[in-house]
Order: sequence, then structure tokens, then C-alpha cells
Amino acid sequence: MTVLDDGFEALLEPFYNGKKLTDPISTKEDKYQLLPAFLKVKGLVKQHIDSYNYFINQEIKDIVKANRLIKSDQEESFWLEFTDIRVGKPTRNDYSDVVSRSEVNPMECRLRDMTYAADVVVDIVYIRDRHKIRHNNVLLCRIPVMLKSAKCCLSGASNSEMEVMNECPLDPGGYFIIGGTEKVILIQEQLSKNRVIVEADEKMGVHASVTSSTHERKSKTYVILKKERITLAHNILMEPIPIVIVFKALGGLTDCEIMELVAGGDARYQDDFLINFDEATKAGVYTQQQALEYVGQRVKMGGPRGRQFGSAPRRSHAEEGLDALANIIIAHVTIQGLEFYPKAIYIAMMVRRVLMASHNPKLVDDRDFVGNKRLELAGQLLSLLFEDLFKGFVSNLKMNMENFFKKPNRTSAYDPVGPIKGQGAFITQGLNRAIQSGNWTVKRFNMNRAGVTHVLSRLSYIAALGMMTRISSQFEKTRKVSGPRALQMSQWGMLCTSDTPEGEACGLVKNLALMTHITTDVGDEAVKEWIHGVDSGAEAIENFSGTEMHTAGAYIVHLNGTPFALTHSPKRFAARFRTLRRRGWLSPFASIHINSHFSAIHIATDEGRICRPYIIVQNGRSKLKPEHLRLLQLGKASFDDFLTHGIVEYLDVNEENDTLVALYEHDIVPATTHLEIEPFTILGAVAGLIPFPHHNQSPRNTYQCAMGKQAIGAIAYNQFNRIDTLLYTLVYPQRPMVITKTIQLVHYDKLPAGQNATVVVMSYSGYDIEDALVLNKASLDRGFGRCQVFRKYTAELQSYPNGRRDRMGGVAKDEDGLVIDKHAILDEDGMAMVGERVFSGNTMLKKETPVDKGTTGIGTDRGPDDFSDASLNYKIADAAYIDKVMISTNERDHPVIKVQTRQTRRPELGDKFSSRHGQKGVVGIIVDQEDMPFADSGLVPDIIMNPHGFPSRMTVGKLFECLTGKASIVHGRPEHGFGDAFRSHPVEEMGKVLVEHGFSWEGKDYFTSGITGEPLECYIYNGPIYYQRLKHMVQDKMHSRARGPRAILTRQPTEGRSRDGGLRLGEMERDCLIAYGASQLLLERLMYSSDVTQIDICQKCGLFGYKGYCQTCKSTREVTQMNMPYAAKLLVQELVSMNVGVRLELEDTFPHEK
Amino acid sequence: MSSEQYQVPTGSGSQAPGGSRNFDAEPPTAMHYLCGDCATRVRLEKGQPIRCGSCGARVLYKERTKRMVQFEAR
Repeated sequence: MTVLDDGFEALLEPFYNGKKLTDPISTKEDKYQLLPAFLKVKGLVKQHIDSYNYFINQEIKDIVKANRLIKSDQEESFWLEFTDIRVGKPTRNDYSDVVSRSEVNPMECRLRDMTYAADVVVDIVYIRDRHKIRHNNVLLCRIPVMLKSAKCCLSGASNSEMEVMNECPLDPGGYFIIGGTEKVILIQEQLSKNRVIVEADEKMGVHASVTSSTHERKSKTYVILKKERITLAHNILMEPIPIVIVFKALGGLTDCEIMELVAGGDARYQDDFLINFDEATKAGVYTQQQALEYVGQRVKMGGPRGRQFGSAPRRSHAEEGLDALANIIIAHVTIQGLEFYPKAIYIAMMVRRVLMASHNPKLVDDRDFVGNKRLELAGQLLSLLFEDLFKGFVSNLKMNMENFFKKPNRTSAYDPVGPIKGQGAFITQGLNRAIQSGNWTVKRFNMNRAGVTHVLSRLSYIAALGMMTRISSQFEKTRKVSGPRALQMSQWGMLCTSDTPEGEACGLVKNLALMTHITTDVGDEAVKEWIHGVDSGAEAIENFSGTEMHTAGAYIVHLNGTPFALTHSPKRFAARFRTLRRRGWLSPFASIHINSHFSAIHIATDEGRICRPYIIVQNGRSKLKPEHLRLLQLGKASFDDFLTHGIVEYLDVNEENDTLVALYEHDIVPATTHLEIEPFTILGAVAGLIPFPHHNQSPRNTYQCAMGKQAIGAIAYNQFNRIDTLLYTLVYPQRPMVITKTIQLVHYDKLPAGQNATVVVMSYSGYDIEDALVLNKASLDRGFGRCQVFRKYTAELQSYPNGRRDRMGGVAKDEDGLVIDKHAILDEDGMAMVGERVFSGNTMLKKETPVDKGTTGIGTDRGPDDFSDASLNYKIADAAYIDKVMISTNERDHPVIKVQTRQTRRPELGDKFSSRHGQKGVVGIIVDQEDMPFADSGLVPDIIMNPHGFPSRMTVGKLFECLTGKASIVHGRPEHGFGDAFRSHPVEEMGKVLVEHGFSWEGKDYFTSGITGEPLECYIYNGPIYYQRLKHMVQDKMHSRARGPRAILTRQPTEGRSRDGGLRLGEMERDCLIAYGASQLLLERLMYSSDVTQIDICQKCGLFGYKGYCQTCKSTREVTQMNMPYAAKLLVQELVSMNVGVRLELEDTFPHEK
Repeated sequence: MSSEQYQVPTGSGSQAPGGSRNFDAEPPTAMHYLCGDCATRVRLEKGQPIRCGSCGARVLYKERTKRMVQFEAR
């Protein structure tokens, strides 16, 4: 395949704002050019891809390495070892095919409802006949491949290669294709693991908690201060244990040493802690043995350890206690031998934090602080799942092996290759099912999360992009606490301040900002080595006693939350650490910060931290020089080069607290440590579409973030090749007149969703109240807001176990031999003909399914040979055209047929439009062009907007957009059309441009009424405003019913438009009628127009009769008829069926006079 | 194919159920489709595997109707 450079590639390059290579460069103006360079290597969806790549290349190997050996309990000499695991390229999984295992591209998977997955192969070594057998490339399972990840065929593909693969070059990637549907694993927000969090609440008092997470287990340990006594609590312990007993059980510490470890030399803490020694004395615990017994007695039996077939001999209480302390409580601090000192230091640290918080309530941690949070990405979630599945696979394989060795007479040597393939299928299924359903179940961790994955929303390009940056929180939505929902100061620059949904998920679902990166695990070995080896000032924490740790000026170095070393020169230590990182000796994502409250230095290398890049400032001068930007412009340097040369660096949320960041170059003071790359990056990709967002009232930006995702536009360059279930496209999408740099960076200008409408702000006709818009009919004729709606209808021709299959039937004909109306558009193959108009009720696919599906088909067990109709009909009231009919086969080798229908819609009354400032409105009236007002230049508006939309909404950004847009069209050049956030005020310059071209500087013009021909009494503000057509259209919502279908059980009208349902007269409406006294109307609405039924009732016994006869009384004498709601009749009968007698007593409405 | 296994002969059933049977009495009708990859016309008979004869692609599209279609110019 030869690939031509059609010059298209250059269009997708990061822009340099029309700068020529010879133009002068100023760091002040042009430093934002780091942003496109950054987005080339990191950011937006790259975190998904990085995380997945890390899983595929690293974590999967670690998981297999940790579970590499399988030994048989019966056959001593046999073992099996997994030596390596590799993920291949995505392939087809068709059977019965020569070219089957060839590489596949994502578009084929979408069209054929397949899973975009790659083979995972393992290398194994095992023993057969006392020989080591090596077997490479044994197929283990198939793993879904993330689009644009390292294994995907789209990674590194040029645009022309993308085109050949029918793929859109602007597609963000980062999602999976499972069974033909695109699935995203949303970013999950969690409290950080292995970190101590100190909190105070009414119920528990002051407490420190830590969630220990290791590969084996996840558990939470608490240190609680209650009634001045400190205890340690854990799930495995039946009751909280006095803290001194825990310290004694850990062994090797005298009372004095315990005191020193916790309180150091501080008398206040010593006094507070002293009482805890009494607790141990009261319990009669003096020695380690006694303490271990005390703990062991309180360890819950039947815990994760106690379940091993009952074969292990019962352990003594002391052993039980020792095991709990070593392996379960604070499990992430590993114990080597029986050296418990590190764990004692850790627990002492927790106790000390609790004591400090009790003295000074300000020292509690904030769990909403972004630095205390970790984001879980697709790779991490997949690795959790894969680890669980792989462990299950290993135990299944072992079981299979033991079953084989159990046989007394074996005919052959054990060959594990077959069983590996067989058991590996469960891994494939498990992965697919989890991504498909979004239910993440990991038994080891008791993890059971639903809704982890979502179908990628393809309503618009922005909707898809917005989904990739979405973060969902684990907090329950019902809790009425504002803390987790509120905007946190530390979200600055990391999470978008505007993009969050309204309503119940408000503040819980967040979005990443433009320059955010999420770290992957970088390993702590290098850091450990460096702390020990390079800096002489830091020594291992185990070498120190409590007093030394807590002397003034001594700083404990914590590595990922665990005390690791001690230094007396924290500033120098941190400075050296940063220097090393800037020189590239350490990973750029290792972070360090000093916490002077706790005399601690925290180094973090773990995954899921949120960070973002900054320009380094040293000695009051920015490290970024014009020559660097020149290199960038020439394409001779990338962002990573700047990173390794110490010009920029990543800071995570914790490290940000140690910095002084200047927003602009002129803000730099001697103490400044960093310089912001570009202020508008505090917003995300979706909020970045708004021009002048800093001039809007903040909720308006939030509204636009929600509406931008509903705007109809182009979704991708390949939008007509992919057959989506529902696709809306705008017929003539336009690039906004006023754009932002974010728009260019996310390529919204190449896949826009809206049109530049000429708007005049005035009142017209009274059909514009409550935000309704007046539309120009001629504009609609010219194609304004015209959109197309594509719908997909699918049929799969299944085959059944008895060998029968679904088939495509032929056209039915009436007695005259003419094709019946229903089948008018069917072809000979039973499928609709492409290009035909399809009306409601027409058949599109004449599928037929065998009547006999259940029989075995062997012998006499055989059903009829008939077929029943299972055709697919077009049900929507408005006609459409058949756009495309695709036939193919899916992974199960069944034929699949997809029909795509197309509707073209022009805006009509009630269709929804919105500008980019949270100003939505419906079409109130469509006016002939001759009745519209016109300017003296002949300009006639597309839209008339009511000025009442402005005062209360305060969307000044919209006024600016109008003015800026007008200036840039009258000038005929796009460079004015930038509405970036936090940039200078454009009004004066725009006014100047307008005046130069003979317009008023205010943007107001003279208009003449189109109805009377008189001049309007005032000048009218007008100009182009970008309008989005939203997906809510009258045609999809319009509904009425006189009579129609009823529900079977209650005989009441059905509910909902799709079932042609009735309109409910609900409780509140009922209350109104009761209050008004319209009883006959009520009776009609609630009974006669709904589920009235006539029943026979026996006046004697009060039970239902039938056909004028009472079964109970065996007579017809007192049976009478009455009307009642069928639901009431049903209730009576249901009660009777439960053995509750119900008897109706009747009386005359108008009694006879006796 | 698994359905083409040995079948127990029965007195009444002369016709064996299963995929091997020809459901249609009429001769197999052939249709033409367009290959999604190479855009060649592919002739497919009923029951034939769905696949382009020249490039092996398995996604085919139906040809446009030969009938006249009139659009409303609105």
C-alpha cells in the first residue's frame, strides 16, 4: 500500500497562529505553544491509552510472573511454569477460514458486530517424562484492544492510512469495541490507597484510617481516639484493641520506646498517651506473648485464612495474632522475617497524627482535597480484573491437572496445552462480559461495581470527546452532603471548573482539564536507591529511635505514605530530588512535597495521581527562552525534550502546595518557582468551546457544557461509513466565527456542530417570549439548521441447535398477483431496496424464523417445517429513505443485515436551538423573509432573539461573541475571531474595526421594519452568533391519542409515546378536580375513558357473579350489573386469591321510597 | 458441519431436518451486491457465504434500486 502525502496531514498539525518562521518570538505571547506540543504526547484521552499500554506491556507480565508456577500436589515431579505473556495485534476470530487470523481494523468490527480483540499468548515450560518441555506461543485468551493503543492498528497511522481503514483521523480513540458497540471505561475517582487520612466526626471521635491495598488483599485499619484512649480497629478484629497491646504484640519495644515512638519529647503528647499504658495493665498484658494471645483471641475465625480445607492444624491464639499483625493489619507495610519495627513506626505515626489532630483540630485531613484522591483508569481496572481471572484460571488449570493425575492408569503424559486453551476461554469471556455490562466484580477485594463502562456517546464529536475525559465518583448520589460536590481549590488546573452535570450527579461527575495527566506507576526502586545512595543526609528510618525521629528539625521521608528515611535538611533534600528529576535521572512523574505541620517529606511514585506541567522558574527568570519555542516551531523539539532539559516539569496536586506559580510572565517575583503555561487550560475540552467564558455568569458555562454535547453536527469524517444506531448530522455545518485555541486544539473547527446565524436582538411578534426564537423562513430554505437523522435496524439470521435457521423470505402477493403494499419496497432477497422511500408499516427485512426451534431433530422428535414471520417493519410515522443495506456475518458466523434509514429535517416550530452561552430556546415562529426587519445594507437576520434573555442571565460573553464576530466578518479576516478565556478585553479594538468599515462602534445598526416599512425607533444590536441545533426535535416528541392500545393486566391505556400511550391525569390534576368539585369529569377521566368494565355482582353475598348468575348463592335473583374500574375488579380478585374475602355492599344512588 | 451427522432413519420422515435440506423448491435466486472494500459487483446465491469473490471482504452492501425515486424538494 503506497501512501501519498496529500497535504492533509499538515492541516492536523498543531497550529502556530499563522506565524511565519521569520517572525519574532516572545515567550510572553507564545508560551502557549507548549500546549499543542503537550497535547501531542499527553493529555485528553492519552491517559486512557497510556494506562492501557502500561497494562498490556508491563502489568500483565507482572501478574503472570506473580502466578507463574503451578505444582501438582499428587505428582511431585510435575510442574508448569509460565515464562512469558504477550499480547498480539488485533485479529479476526472467524472459524473455517484460511485468511481468518489476519489483522482486523476497528471499522470492520463495528460493522460486523465483532469484538476488537487481540490474542494473548503465553510461553510455558513443563515436565513430561522427566524432560523439560518448552512450548512457546500457546494461545491463552483474547483481550479487547483499546483503539489507538500500542497494539491497535491505528496507533501511529498517518491520515491516509486511516482513510484506507475507513477511520476518522480526528477520532480520539481510548475506547473498546465489544460486539460492535463502542464502550468507554470511565475514569473512576477514589480515595488514595496506602495513605493515612485523619478525620474527626461525632461518632468515632478523632481517627486515622488507612486502606491497605496489596496484590493479595484490600483492608482498612483504623486508629481511634475515644474517651482519651486510643485503640486499633480492623475488620478482622472482633473489637478495637488498646494501642499499647498492639505495640507490645509487635515486640521488641519497651514502654519507654513506645512512648518515644509516639510522642517523642513533646510533653503534651506524652501526657495524652500515658493513659493507654493503663489499658494494657488492666488487661493483664505485660509481655509480647500475652499481647499476641490477647490479639489472637480477638481475631475473627473463618477469616480469609481459616478456610483452607480444615487440613491445617488449629493454630494457637498467639500464632493467630502474629499472623494477623504480620499479614492482614496494615498489609502494605511488608514484614521481612519477624522484623516488626517498620510496622510499629507506621502505627506510631498514625497514633501521633491522631494525638496531633486532637490537640489542634486544624490538622485533620480533607478527603475532598484532590491530592488525597487517585484516578483509576482503564488499564488499572482491566489489570484488577485480569489478575482475578488469571488466578481463577490457574486454580482451574490445577484442578484439571489434579483430576488427570488422579487416574490410576494414565494412557499418556499430561499435556497442558489443550486445557490452557479451554480454561483460557473463561478469561476472554470474563473480560468481554465486564466491559460489555460495566459490572466489575473482583472477589478478592469484595469489589462489585456497576456502571463502570458506558456506550460511547456519538451524538456529536464533542460528546464523544467529553465522555473520554469524564470522571465518575464513587460517592453515593443520594447522600445530601455538599463536600464532595463542591468545587475544591485544589481542582485548579486539574479538573474543569465548569463541566459538570446539573441535578443529582452535580459535582460528583467531573471532567479533566485540558492539560491534566494521570500518572501510571513509575516504580519506587530508583527513588529508594537514590535516597540511600546519593544523599548522605537521609538515613533509613529503622536506624532511629522515636526520640530521634521527633526531635525538632528531623524530617521523616515518606515513600508512598510509608515512613522510609530520616533527614535533618528537608529543603536541601527536596531541592536535590527535584534537580535529579529535572535532569531525567528520576521519572518526571515522581513527586515530592514537604509538610511542615507533620515534619514530613512525602515522595509519591504511585499511579492515578493527577498532575499537570508547568514552566520552571529559577532565580526569578523563566527557563523557557525564545530559542526553545523556535525549536518547537521548527519541529526540532518535542514536549518531552523540554521535560528532560528541565524547562518544564509535571507537578501533582500535593507538590503544587510547595510552589509559587506565576500566572503571567510579568507576575514573576524572586520567590516564584513556576510559570503557568496557559491560563485557559483550567477549563476542559468541552468548556473550551465557549468564547469569552470569563465574561459569563458561571452557571451559564456549565449549561453550555451540557448542551454542547447535544448539538447536532459532524461526528467524524467517517460518519457515513459507520452505521450508528442513531446518527444526527447537520447538512451545512460551519466553523464558528469566534473560536478559541481550545477549539483548534480539539479540532472542533474541523468537526463543528452549529452554524453562524445573523442575529438581531429585538422583540418581534410576541412569539418570542420565554426564550423562543424567531426564524427567517428563507434561511431555512437555504439550509439553516437542516439536519439528517439516520437510524439503524439490525437483524441477525440465527441458527438453532436442531440445525434449523432463520431465513429471508420472499415478497407476499395478493390474489391479483400484485405485491402487497406492506412489501412494496422489498427486493427479491427480502431486503428493502436502497433509495426507496419507506412509510410507516412497511417491511424492511422479511426475516422468517422456524416454528420448530426446540426439538432435537433426531428420529421422530421433529416439529413442523413451517416458518413464522419475524419481519422488521418501519414504525415511525414520518417516512424515511433507505440509505444503506449492509449484509455480513458476525463472529458466530451468522448473517447480519443492517438497514440504515435517512430522514432530512428542516427546523420547525418547537425545535430546540442554543447559542454557546447556555442560552437555549425553541423556535417560536417562522417568519417570511419579507416580514423580517432589514438593515440599510439589505441585511436580513436569520434569527431574532428577544433582549429579555440578557439581563437576568448576564451572558456578556454572547454580546462579545456577536461584536467580535461582526468585526471579523466585516474585516474579512479570521484573526480577530478569538474569544479565549482570560485574555484581554476585545471591545475597543473591535469597535475600531467596525468604525473603519463604516459600522457603528457599538455594533448597533439602523433597521427598517419589514411589516410597516417604517424605520425602527432605535438602533439594533446585531451580528453573527454561533447557534447549535440541539437533538430535541418536535418530530420525535409529538404525540396524541384518542383511542389506542391498553395494557393487558389492568386494561388501562398504555404509557409512553413509543407504545402510543395515553396522557395521564395524575394525582395532582386529580386533586385539582376534586377541589373544584368536577366529580363527573373525574369519573369520566378516571373510569369511562380508562378501564371501565361491567361486572355482575350478587347483592346478597356481595361477590362477583357471572352472566347474571351467582355461583355462591346458586341463583340469579339478586345479581345486578354495575360499572367499575377494571383495576378495582382486579384488586378484589387478587385479594380473594390470597384468601382475603371481599364483599361489595351495594346501595341505590337514588333510593326508592319504601 | 455438525448437523450433517448420522441420522436415525424413520419410517415416516423421508425428509431429514437440518441445514442440509433445501428449503426452497424454486431454483436458487442470485442477487448482486457491492463489496465494501473493493467496490466490485459480487454475485451471491441464496445460502452462499457472504464474501467478496475478488478481495475476500465480508462486508457487502446492497445495490441502489433500479426503480425511479422522486424526492420532495423541500
